[in-house]
Formats: sequence, structure tokens, C-alpha cells
Amino acid sequence: MSSAYENVVEVRNLCKYFPIKAGLFGRVVGHVHAVENVSFSIKRGTTMGLVGESGCGKTTIGKTLLNLTPKTSGEVIFNGDTHLDMLKGKSLRDFRPKIQIIFQDPYSSLSPRLPVGEIIGEAVREHNLVPESEFDAYISRIMKACGLFDYQKDRYPHEFSGGQRQRICIARAIALNPDFIVCDEPVSALDVSIQAQIINLLEDLQKQFNLTYLFISHDLSVVQHISDTVGVMYLGNMVEYADKAEIFANPLHPYTQALFSAIPVPDPTVKMNRIILEGSIPSPANPPSGCKFHTRCRKCQAVCSQKAPRTMDMGNGHTVACHIYDPESGYENA
Amino acid sequence: MSENNNINNNNEQLALDDGRRVKVLSPGMMVFKRFIRNKLAIVGIIILAFMFAFSFLGGLISPYRQDQVFYKTDSANKEFASAVVNTEYRFLTEDGSPLSTLVRANFSRLVKDAGDGDISFDADGAAWTVQRLGEGFYSIGTTKDLATVTLLGKVCDVKALDGVELSDAVKDAALQTAKAGGGSFEIDGQTYMLTKGKAKTYNLGTVGEVAIASLLSYDAHDSADTGVISTYAFRRAAELALRSGETSFEADGIKYTLEAEEDSALIFRDGEENPLASVSRIIVNPVTSGVFLSVDYKAAVSEAIADKQTAFDYVNADGVTERHTIRMRGNNYIIYTEQQTYLIDMYAAPSWAHPLGTDDHGMDVLTRLMYGGRISLLVGFVVMLLENLIGIIIGGISGYFGGWVDTLLMRFVDLFNSIPYYPIMIIAGAIMDALEVPPYTRIFLLMAIMGIMGWTGVARVVRGQILSLREQDFMVATEATGIRVSRRIFRHLVPNVMPLLIVQATMGLGNIILTEATLSFLGLGIKYPLASWGSIINAASNIYVMTNFWYIWIPAGLLIVLTVLGFNFVGDGLRDAFDPKMKR
Repeated sequence: MSSAYENVVEVRNLCKYFPIKAGLFGRVVGHVHAVENVSFSIKRGTTMGLVGESGCGKTTIGKTLLNLTPKTSGEVIFNGDTHLDMLKGKSLRDFRPKIQIIFQDPYSSLSPRLPVGEIIGEAVREHNLVPESEFDAYISRIMKACGLFDYQKDRYPHEFSGGQRQRICIARAIALNPDFIVCDEPVSALDVSIQAQIINLLEDLQKQFNLTYLFISHDLSVVQHISDTVGVMYLGNMVEYADKAEIFANPLHPYTQALFSAIPVPDPTVKMNRIILEGSIPSPANPPSGCKFHTRCRKCQAVCSQKAPRTMDMGNGHTVACHIYDPESGYENA
Repeated sequence: MSENNNINNNNEQLALDDGRRVKVLSPGMMVFKRFIRNKLAIVGIIILAFMFAFSFLGGLISPYRQDQVFYKTDSANKEFASAVVNTEYRFLTEDGSPLSTLVRANFSRLVKDAGDGDISFDADGAAWTVQRLGEGFYSIGTTKDLATVTLLGKVCDVKALDGVELSDAVKDAALQTAKAGGGSFEIDGQTYMLTKGKAKTYNLGTVGEVAIASLLSYDAHDSADTGVISTYAFRRAAELALRSGETSFEADGIKYTLEAEEDSALIFRDGEENPLASVSRIIVNPVTSGVFLSVDYKAAVSEAIADKQTAFDYVNADGVTERHTIRMRGNNYIIYTEQQTYLIDMYAAPSWAHPLGTDDHGMDVLTRLMYGGRISLLVGFVVMLLENLIGIIIGGISGYFGGWVDTLLMRFVDLFNSIPYYPIMIIAGAIMDALEVPPYTRIFLLMAIMGIMGWTGVARVVRGQILSLREQDFMVATEATGIRVSRRIFRHLVPNVMPLLIVQATMGLGNIILTEATLSFLGLGIKYPLASWGSIINAASNIYVMTNFWYIWIPAGLLIVLTVLGFNFVGDGLRDAFDPKMKR
């Protein structure tokens, strides 16, 4: 185990542009700026929550991290020394078990024509993680750990409910004994009671196997519950990053403030002071100039549309990308 | 299932909501259960089972071969012989040498107008005399030069030709006659003739019969007697006896008797029962070569014609009485008779031996349907497999790798799709005809061409399916878990494409069988003596067959319709069974 490294994953200036092709010969006419200049790191055994609106690039970060879609530029370093994009073929496949992903849709993420035991155990056998003699016992143990029953091994995915399917997906990831799991909105397709079960399962497994999660979600309550650190994304940029307690107590970026104001409070007597954002998220193919958020920001000034904000360290590991907090930006604080 | 059995054996009490109460079914089993619940699909399966049994077992059971031709015997009133009343004179010379054409022509020309009188003409440098000895019987005589008689003033001389001895009496008579200006004289029963030659010379010659001409023809009853009745003496004596109405004559020292009728006669050797020869003005010839007409038959025909009968009975050599009818055609009489002939049993109506009759080649239709079914089904399956093989490979590569490979292969598919199908098939058929490709080779070539022309649909479907599957999360998951490419393709992609392909292939089979039938119907596909259902229906392209012999083409059409229907029912059933939206 390379547990010597404190940061399981380090991301530096990650960019991912998708080309827009048009015409008969697929000429590239532009790029979708899905992820731009994102940097963060996740400590071993912790969970980082990644929140943002639909289409802000959360899932792309997850997939680019695992090299499931090749990145455009930047660095992704696992365990301090492994650059995934430099691995090819067999060595890449051999590293795969260390980093796993759990998908949002538990229905499309299981092959309908394989029994569950086979789905969970296929990659275990592929990588020879356990001896053949212990294989059945190992799969049974993993299934039990994920809240599945031994006798369900021979069943097919169509016989399971959404929550059970998500358990199967988790079991598939856990069976490979990974260090790091990208949870790509793992509970958003499930109903609320099942969401809680899955969240608790993920937390239990984290303790049991010393896992590190990147928890992608647009559900702030869930992120608040599970995360140790939280990153907020807007249109491909990470606008704010801090510890959970810090960011929920003291959101700095106007977007974060607007986002957190929408968290429902299960108490009817509380008067909510919601910040309503106007308009919809701009096209990532043609992002606004300067600060990408300026088109919808309440505190927008002339400088916001002219230059992109720097990422400012506000201390305590709290970073924010906004001109308001940059004394050199020319933003006039009232 | 084994899990359930264990539980029952242990008599363990399960809670009502225990998951172990649910019976586990693999996707394959579920498809099967759904399929057998579909009544239409079962009907399709039964139809197809019947078709396969009919085609592949039927050929073994059928007592006939597929190219066995059946024959029948039938009687037909056919032309058997022709007869004509002879108007051409037949000549027989004394020494057997043929008479010159010029003489015969002169004779034939002059004899028509001669009536009873004698005729004389010059031909071949000799004088000819024709003497009428009876109705249609002439004696042809000519002079034979013996000497030259010269009368020059007082000099008279008879100069005999080389090798001729003349008696003095003859010489004297010749001189006398010459002085009288020529003519004939007779000494010792021999007629001499003096004809004027050059200047004052005369030619002395004898007049003698050299040939006879007659309208009668002679047929020996026994072919050994042909020589006898062909002699000059016999003929002359017989003809004379016939003209004079005598009942006997003698030739070469043998006595013959004669039974004459109006235009014909029978000649017997004296004292014998069986006739030697028959004589008639009527000449009877067989219509077809190689048939020998007996003299008895010829006599019977002559008699019937002479009696102006239109039909007569004749007992042939086998003792069977045949009815012969006589009809006039121009100057000829044509004799018809009912004859037994060996015929190909074409278009036989259904019977126990041939339940669906026979076709235009005299082959058993039911047997050909069985063997034709083999070829139709075989072509269908082989072409389907070929199409799917090519289609899966090209569509799979295109869908899995995507990008420029996909673009290139799909443009290739477009190219193939824009090749006109039937013109290509017609050209291929014409080429195979021109090369005289053997029937079995032709089937394989046909399969290959149909397969090569038909894979594009499969390729498109496979590509589309794989393109959509490739983006599914479970395929991303296989990449994320580091499973190697071959396993991803064969364990994850292929099993998920299979259901669609099976449905496609089953539905496509019907279409392939229809296409093969169409090609065979147009004469481009399966060729005689092999059969396919399409080539059997080809018989209906003849309006006569179509309207009169339903049993040849209707069953083949029904078999095609039923088979295609069967495949479509099964295909529909499979599609419904594979459809995940259908609950079990």
C-alpha cells in the first residue's frame, strides 16, 4: 500500500475541452469548456464533495480523473507518483482497480445479461486479486458488506430494485480493494429512504476499508452530510473550496451563497432568505468573458466582465475565485 | 433452483418477504418462457418444423428422385403410310441396263397424247418406236444398225458393219427396198428397216424391243422372290397376261397363275397357295423411315383404295386387328392408324402415384417440392449466416472503434446499398448461364452473391446497437475496472447485441427465401434439374399451365407463403420475448 502519501489524489490545473465538430468532414469549429483550471487534492480516508448546477462539469471531472475521457491539459497524480495518462495498455489496466467509480444510474451500469456474482467478481478474476479457491467466499463477503445476500449471486440485475442495484455497483467497486472511489451522484436516482441507506453504506465502507471518496452531487444536504471538504463548481471552474464546516458556515463566493441559500430546512417556522439567481447557466461552448458568473452575479461590477478572477487563499484552506476578495482586482467594496 | 431445493430439504421456514422465495430465472429462460407463451410464435414454430420435416425428411421418404422423369403409353391416331395411284411409267430393259433419260422423257411426253397409236421418235442417234400392248403397257423398240446400203448411179452395194453377218436374201431385199425409197421388210420373222442416211446412202437396221414401260408396281411377298419378279421375261409375260385377261402365263419355263381384280392382281406360282407377288397401280410407302410395310398390308391398302373405302381393318403380324382410315390429301392417300406411343407423362393430374401430379418435365411435383424446399431453406440459412457474419464483423468494428473507421465503413455500406440489386443479380445470372456453371456450383455462387449483397442491413443494425451500448455505463464500468478489450466485446457487447440479431436474422430469413424464390422464378437462381420453390412456381409464367394445372404451382406458392409467415411469426415472438418491457 502506498499509504505513505497523505493525498490520495492531487489535481493541478485540470482542463477538459470537448471539440465541437461541424460540417461534412467534422471540422472543429469550437470547444466546450467543460473543465477549466481546476486544482484540488483529497486526503486519504476523507470525502470531498463536489457540488454545482447541472452541466457545470462535475461528472467530467470524475471521468477525466479516472482517464475514462482523456484530459486536455493539467495533471492528475494518484498516491503521489502515478500519472494515469502516462500508463498504457496492460499497466493502465493493472492500475485500474485502485481507482473506481460508482455511477448515477444503477439501471444502465449493470450488464443485463450477466448474473450479479459474475458482475462483481469479473474484474477480481481478471486481475487475480484473490486465489481461485477463495474466490466464492471473497465475493460472498463483499456482498454481505454491501448489504446483499449470498443467494442473490446467481440472479440477474433485472430482478433487483434500484437501491439493490446501487449496492451491486458499490460491491463491484469495493471488490477490487480500491484506494479511491469517484461517486458520481450515486444517490440522485434513488428515492430518499434508499438514499440514506446508500449514504450510510458508503460511510460504513469508508471506515471499514479506509476509502477516499470524491462525492459528486447537486444535493447539498447529502454533500453536507458525507463530505469532509467541499468544492463548488460553476461552468467548469472551481469557484470555492474549503472544509465542510468552514464553507457551510461562511460561504464567500456569491454563487456559493446563492446555492447554499436554497438548502431546504426541515422546520416550517424558519424564514428562508433565498437568493434567486436570474437566467440560466450560460453555454460552456461560449462562456462569458472575465468572471464566468458575472452574467448572473448580484455583486457584479465592471471589472468582473473584463478579467478572470484569481483564486485567493482566505486562510484555513479556504480558497475562492472572486474579485471581491482580491484587493488588487480593482473591485470596489462598498 | 438448487438453492430452493436445499431450502425445502432443510424445511427452513422462510419469511413471506424473503428474497429466496423468488425463483431465479436466467434471461435466456425468461425469453424462452415468454416465447412459448406466445401462441402465434408456436404456430410459426409448428409451421417451420413441418417445413423442415417436409423438406429434409420428405426427400428421404419419397420413392422418387427429384429429377426422375415419368413416362406413359398412349394411343394416338398418327399418319402411318401414304399411297398414291401411280402415273409415272416404270421402265424395265431387256438387258437390265437403264434407259437413257432422254428416251424416257420423250416417251413420257408423247405417250399421253398417243391414244392407241404407235409412237416413234429419234433420240440418242437412233430411231425409237413405241408399241401399245395394252392399257398402260408399252413396248419400246429401237433400230439396231447392221449395214450401210449405197445407191450411187448403177453402183449398188450393201456394206455390213464390222462383225455383222448378213444373208444374201437380206442383202437383196435391202437393195430392193432401197431402190424403192426406203421402208421396212420382213425376212424370217425379223423386221428390217431401211432409213435414209447421208446422200444416197441408207442405213439398214433391225427393229427390236428393248424395254417395256408400265404403270404397275410389283411387290414380292417373300423378299427372296424379288429377283424372280424383276426379270424382263416375267414382267413381260405377266403384263401381257393381265392385259389379255388370261389367268395364267409362263415365263422362263415356269407357269404362273393370276388372280386379277380391277386395278390389282395377285400372281401365284402354279399350284402354290401363297401368292408370289402382288401387282398394283397403287404405290404404298411408310410415312416414317425405318418402318417396313408388308406386302399384305400394301395389298390391303390397294384393295381398300380400289374399293373407294375410307377405312379398313388389317390384322398385323401380332394378330391384332388394327383399324386404318384413309384420307385424301391432294393426289395422295394418307393412311392413319391408332398407334401406341411412349410419352413423357407431362401435367399428369393428381393421383395416388403422384399426389400433386407431374410437371412439364414429367417429374413428380410433390418430390420436387420436397427437394426444392431443401434448397430454399438451405439457401435461406446459408445466406442469413453469411450476411450476419459479414454484417457483425463490419458493423461491430464500425461501432466499437467509431471515428474515421466508422465513417469509412459506413460510406462503404452506403456504396453497397446504392448498387442496384436486381440488375446485379440478372447480370450474375447471365454470366453463370454463359459460363455454363453446373447446377450445384450455381447454388453456392448464388448464396455467395446474395450474402455479399445483403449484409449492409445487419452491419447498420449492429453498428447502431454497439454505438449505443458502448456509451452505456456498464461498458464504461468495464473500462474502469480494467477488463481487457476481448472480454469487453465478447462478454458484454455481443450478448447484448445477440437478441436483436436473432430477431433480425429470423425475420430476414423469410425475406431471403422470398428473394431466392423471386430470382429462381425469373430464371436467375436455381436451374433445372435442381428445383427450388421459386423455380417450381416459374411454371405459372405459362398462362396455359397457370389456368389448367393448378396443382403444379399453387402448392409451391403456399409453401413459400407459409414458410415466410412461419419465420415472421417466430421472429415476432422472439422480438416480444426479448423485449425487456414485456414482464414475465
